[in-house]
Amino acid sequence: MAGTEEFVEADNAEAIINRIEQKSRKIESLLKQYKTVEALKTALEGSPLNTKDERCKSANWIMVHRAIMAIKDVDAMFSSLDPEYYDILMKYLYRGLSTGDRPTCDQCLRIHEKLTEKAGLGCILRCLADTVNTV
Amino acid sequence: MAAVEVHKFAKCITCHAWSRDRSMLAFCPNNNEVHIYALLQGKWEKLHVLQKHDQIVSGIDWSARANKIVTASHDRNSYVWNLEGSEWVPTLVILRLNRAALCVKWNPRENKFAVGSGAKTVCICYYEQENNWWVSKLIRKRHDSSVTSVAWHPNNILLATASTDGKCRIFSTFIKVVDAKESRTGPFADSKFGEQILQLDLSFSWSFGVRWSPSGNTLAYVGHSSMIYFVDDVGPSPLAQNVAFRDLPLRDVGVGFDCNPMVFAADLHGIWHFIKFLGERKTTSSGPKYGSQFSEAFGKLYGQQKHGLNNDANEHSRSRGRVHENCINCIVPLGEPGSSKVTRFSTSGLDGKVVVWDMENQADLSEYL
Repeated sequence: MAGTEEFVEADNAEAIINRIEQKSRKIESLLKQYKTVEALKTALEGSPLNTKDERCKSANWIMVHRAIMAIKDVDAMFSSLDPEYYDILMKYLYRGLSTGDRPTCDQCLRIHEKLTEKAGLGCILRCLADTVNTV
Repeated sequence: MAAVEVHKFAKCITCHAWSRDRSMLAFCPNNNEVHIYALLQGKWEKLHVLQKHDQIVSGIDWSARANKIVTASHDRNSYVWNLEGSEWVPTLVILRLNRAALCVKWNPRENKFAVGSGAKTVCICYYEQENNWWVSKLIRKRHDSSVTSVAWHPNNILLATASTDGKCRIFSTFIKVVDAKESRTGPFADSKFGEQILQLDLSFSWSFGVRWSPSGNTLAYVGHSSMIYFVDDVGPSPLAQNVAFRDLPLRDVGVGFDCNPMVFAADLHGIWHFIKFLGERKTTSSGPKYGSQFSEAFGKLYGQQKHGLNNDANEHSRSRGRVHENCINCIVPLGEPGSSKVTRFSTSGLDGKVVVWDMENQADLSEYL
């Protein structure tokens, strides 16, 4: 999972929030340049998986959500998204589906369909079975 | 075809074991009995039914040299069955458990066996001559959840366990009365009974099957999250590799919920890969080709990691054409006596079939053997 390790030491909420704010500025500028896949990668990288602090998880989810919603062409996204992001993306898709928000769910389901084709059922299993590294 | 023999014995099989010369087969048809079949004039016939357990038999192991069968059951007891004349005579082994026994394995020297249980303990049982009695010694307070699988290191001392707390652990099982001093060699020679040597914390979900390579250098176990973990150089600084795969998780090293055996192998650099499903009629991708100078050790390990994955029973379109029609939950390596290489193995599963697989004569696999 991308970037999990570097957060092992920095498992303190303030530091994580600061990093997420920095990431957030980068993502905004990427989105302005229509680099949606780059924005998604940036959002997924270094997700605060190990912390139990809900604020950190929510802050990161808001960014991932923005990046997910900005994606127009799902097929094009997968052609430039590396497999190492699949597992973490799947977790955020399930978080998106759990919001119950109509446009979010629509978008998440569209990506979920393609992601399952690409990464298989094993990817879903890893997402459902992992109760430690949650998003 | 990689499957050389297919037998349908029952509706559902929880576990199976072979006699040394493979002329007899013991399995549990998902109830409290153990059925023994023998090959008589080209046909498999039911010879014995072992009835002593009160609940489902969860583990069977047949010792090759001593010709003893050990069974473990959800009724919290084990029996050691000895063939006297034409009768299998049971000896009760009181495991001192308060939960079901889940798995059982003889050690390579066949003077001890290990039972994993739902009581978060592992029992190491050995025979006490003077009392004519199997004694059970417990490894307690080490596991945080049920022990789903046990595997003996070839040195007879180390035991690997997999547990639903997600961890894989290695223990010393040295017992003074049965283990000779000279058997204490290697880096863990001074460890006492029940001492934990290593705890592997790779999985975030239940871990199931655990196996050693025949050389004892490599350990593999599977997680319920569609991952398989390979650990080289078990010791103070183990090298671990996680392999994620795209299908349903494995139930034992090599067999699982996807109806089809999976083969994993290491390449020249020791990197493990998923190679292919064994049971596919036509293999569309023969797996990446790696260098042909495959080291003997890897070849041997590969031999033991035969992988059967079973498919969801309700997915008829996918399971058609496959040998197993439901989840495979048991895999037994069939080594030839006198050869350390394993190219055959048998699997059984919830569809009641026992299938013997052969990995020889498979062009795309031969380089790994």
